[in-house]
Amino acid sequence: MLNILFIGLSLSSILLLIALGLAITYGAMGVINMAHGEMVMVGAYVAVLSGIWLDANLLVAIPLAFVVTALLGLAIERVVVRKLYGRMLDTLLATWGVALLIQQAVRLEFGLSFFGVHVEGLGPGLQHVTTPAFLQGTFRLAGVELNAYRTFIILVTAVLATATWWLVYRTAAGMQVRAIIRNPNMAAASGIDVKRVNSMTFAFGSGLAGIAGVLISGIRTVFPDMGPPLVVDGFMVVVTGGVGSLYGTLLSSALLGEINALVAIGTNDILARAVMFAVVILVILIKPNGLFSFKER
Amino acid sequence: MALENKLRLAAYALFFLAVFAAPVFSDEFLLNRLSKYLVYGMLAIAIALTWGYAGVLNLGQGLFFGLGAYMLAMSLKLSSPTSLQQGADQPVPDFMLWNAQPGSPTELCCITPGSFIWLPFQSQWTGLVLGVVLPVLIAGLLGLLVFRKRIAGVFVSIITLALALLVRLVVGDAQPVTNGFNGLTDLGWLTIGGLEFDPYSHATYYLCAATLTFTLIGTRLLVETRAGLILQAARDDQTRARYLGFDVPLYQTFFFLIAAGISGLAGMLYVVVAEFASPTFMDLSFSIAMVIWAAVGGRNSLLGACLGAILISAIETSVSETAALIEAWKAVIGLIFVLVVLFLPRGLAGAAHDLIKRFRHSQPHIAPSSREQRNEVH
Repeated sequence: MLNILFIGLSLSSILLLIALGLAITYGAMGVINMAHGEMVMVGAYVAVLSGIWLDANLLVAIPLAFVVTALLGLAIERVVVRKLYGRMLDTLLATWGVALLIQQAVRLEFGLSFFGVHVEGLGPGLQHVTTPAFLQGTFRLAGVELNAYRTFIILVTAVLATATWWLVYRTAAGMQVRAIIRNPNMAAASGIDVKRVNSMTFAFGSGLAGIAGVLISGIRTVFPDMGPPLVVDGFMVVVTGGVGSLYGTLLSSALLGEINALVAIGTNDILARAVMFAVVILVILIKPNGLFSFKER
Repeated sequence: MALENKLRLAAYALFFLAVFAAPVFSDEFLLNRLSKYLVYGMLAIAIALTWGYAGVLNLGQGLFFGLGAYMLAMSLKLSSPTSLQQGADQPVPDFMLWNAQPGSPTELCCITPGSFIWLPFQSQWTGLVLGVVLPVLIAGLLGLLVFRKRIAGVFVSIITLALALLVRLVVGDAQPVTNGFNGLTDLGWLTIGGLEFDPYSHATYYLCAATLTFTLIGTRLLVETRAGLILQAARDDQTRARYLGFDVPLYQTFFFLIAAGISGLAGMLYVVVAEFASPTFMDLSFSIAMVIWAAVGGRNSLLGACLGAILISAIETSVSETAALIEAWKAVIGLIFVLVVLFLPRGLAGAAHDLIKRFRHSQPHIAPSSREQRNEVH
């Protein structure tokens, strides 16, 4: 039983890393970023490529993926999202277009495949990333057999979540983000450079998704179409938790990850996902603003 | 305004003329393909109705399409020759025998657990009726629940999306009863009153064309009724519409279920034309594709959305047949989509509308009004 809860916790961790970025961008800017799943995918490919080209392991890929996806996120914010503030549903559609572009860029090896140039690691095929030797196998803790890699996922997430919490609740920049979440117009009137903070927030959220991608690459197959299901899961977490509430995101990712693990043990992965969707629908029907929303003013 | 109405009437007339004249210029292969585009056109109309007129973006429209498709496909599966040749007195789908435990009776009642739900589908009418009734029922129930609780905007999108994905997963998982992710293939032809609808025939094309025509005219008339106007008022300012005493959730639910019915109908037609039903109909990407069609064509225009669907899917199939572009084309679609959202927020129909306006008021002092028009678009 403890083992199942532990697997659930590792699922929750990845969900949390994906959802944190979505929660901040959606809560603060009213942007639904459907290309967020592609950030995870790009992060996973950074792990693949750094294995092939740099002969480096996952640990190196983590900061690398953060930088790559944060820059990519920054570019998307500057080129597309910036022009669409205040048009929430349009951001959903435009970023879906961006997602298609990124998927095809990876599949076509950035278009180089047309010129007969092959970038090893990219393309339509499936990729696998082997975890470093010291993260393979299991170890015993308090009488429970724990998978080393899953423990690693949980630890990395704990560190990143704490760092995010510290950034948002203990720094001046974080206060600006929180001000924007509550009321963007009032924040702008108080002299906060909303555009700049938005860009930074978007980039940071994308970077977290990139790290989630690296972590996923150790347990799942990496392929160009892996993004959409992940962004859907991320949104389910954000909406269930309550938009704009980071604690809500934390708790609902824990809830959904554990539900997923528990049902999957009893039945199978497919039905586990179905049950997760059912729970999300019920939560929205019962509490339309999510489990942990603050009062709108 | 009068000119605008005339132009709109002309556009509709031209469209119907083109649709009904198309068979003269096409072989049966092209005709089959055109039938599919017309079905997609109906889906875009459904999206325009809920998104453009009711302001509710349904990201799970594929659910209603998929349900319509599965209902008819189940009936047509039982009328296919192979289902009759499975050694039972009554037809039994071939995949059920592959999935059945050895020794189970070759009867729909009990060949596999749950196979009894196929029993009513021995009549083709069950499929035909349920294909519309089931989507309408589900949409009605869901709409009442959601709109009564004043759940709005993105939350509705998430609920519909989650429901579509949930059903997709359950259908895919119920392998013995639904043939899982392989979907239902090898179907019989739809037969109404002795007339067989061969998917490559003129009859099938005209069936699609006629249904699309009725849908387009019907929805056009519907949005001009009092109910349609109230709905649009609610879209623009829900609180005000509610304070004026209108039961907004009721109107929203009504239009939501009409759109679901249209989608169910489209699903049935698709099964007749394409001869299969698959869980991928309920995928996120297909539902978003419908939204893309409507957005490119113009979400506030029923005809525009319909044309958007036909246009994009026509370009998509023709370009994807060029071997080098099969993969690149998806990137092009993505790019078109980003550009349309950024620069043509009301789609092609909106652009055409502006063009006509500018043409009429070419005097410089009226020019600012067109800019205002553009700014109020969301």
